[in-house]
Amino acid sequence: MKDNFSDVEQRVKRYWYVDGFGELVGGGGMCMILGIYFAAQQYFGDDSLMGSLLQISLVLVLIGGGFLVRRLISTAKARVTYPRTGYVEYSEPQNKRLMGVLAAIVGMVMAMTFVFIVRQFNTIDAMVAVSGAVMGIILFVKQIWTAKVKRFYILSIASVLYGAALSVSGLPRGYNLGLFYVLMSISFMISGGLTLKKYLDENPLQPELGNEQ
Amino acid sequence: MSNELRAVTTLDRLIHEPARLLIITILSAAASADFLFLQRETGLTKGNLSAHLSKLEEAGYVKIEKTFKGKLPLTVCKLTAAGQKALTQYRQQLQDFMNKTA
Repeated sequence: MKDNFSDVEQRVKRYWYVDGFGELVGGGGMCMILGIYFAAQQYFGDDSLMGSLLQISLVLVLIGGGFLVRRLISTAKARVTYPRTGYVEYSEPQNKRLMGVLAAIVGMVMAMTFVFIVRQFNTIDAMVAVSGAVMGIILFVKQIWTAKVKRFYILSIASVLYGAALSVSGLPRGYNLGLFYVLMSISFMISGGLTLKKYLDENPLQPELGNEQ
Repeated sequence: MSNELRAVTTLDRLIHEPARLLIITILSAAASADFLFLQRETGLTKGNLSAHLSKLEEAGYVKIEKTFKGKLPLTVCKLTAAGQKALTQYRQQLQDFMNKTA
């Protein structure tokens, strides 16, 4: 009981990231879905029926993908994490509505900035550069404000670097974006996989530990 | 001794006990946590943790429920509104004492 109490609170909040499933399944899964989506859109072209269907189904892909990865994370945690180190449920943020409004405003500003930047550059693929920067900022902010997990810094830097490198690759835009998300997916999976391996090595299943009271 | 300093004698002794203070602090950082998580975080034995949780439950500071997450049986503990209020009050009293004696 040598811990400082604020350290204890912080550790409880960080517990969600302890097994790496968030990155492995959440980040890795969602980025892989988006990577395939953008590459498929480029492959089929905007004029084809398939391309048009893909264009209008982006929201469905995001919502469906989000729902699927949430279910997968929940199942993985129930099978692997909770029997080893226990279950923690987190409360919803109290100012959820305010956060939603702020997120919408930030999203709109980002989208407008994005359109402005894209129109300025014709020689480089600004879309992939901006995507890398936006994801890098999101990961950085997440690390500072909520997660406080240092590996998010590396993922944040990787996102900016991938975006910058791919912006001058000369690939068609859809493949460029697809490749960016696939690279991010691989990075998330490596980060999550290593975290999961470390977690499993440090926390073998102990049948004597349980929820009997 | 001033009355303000004497207020430290009115600290909630149920929370003041280190193990229970740790349990309540952990529960205050989450919506709920199960017995296994609390056991690992506090380093207490099953019996010890169970005894402390029973005292906190009797005082109405903690609510304990048996539930399932998938097929996994869980004993989930949650800090009640009374428990949250008691912890806030305890911290305030301790903070006041520290400020006046520093």
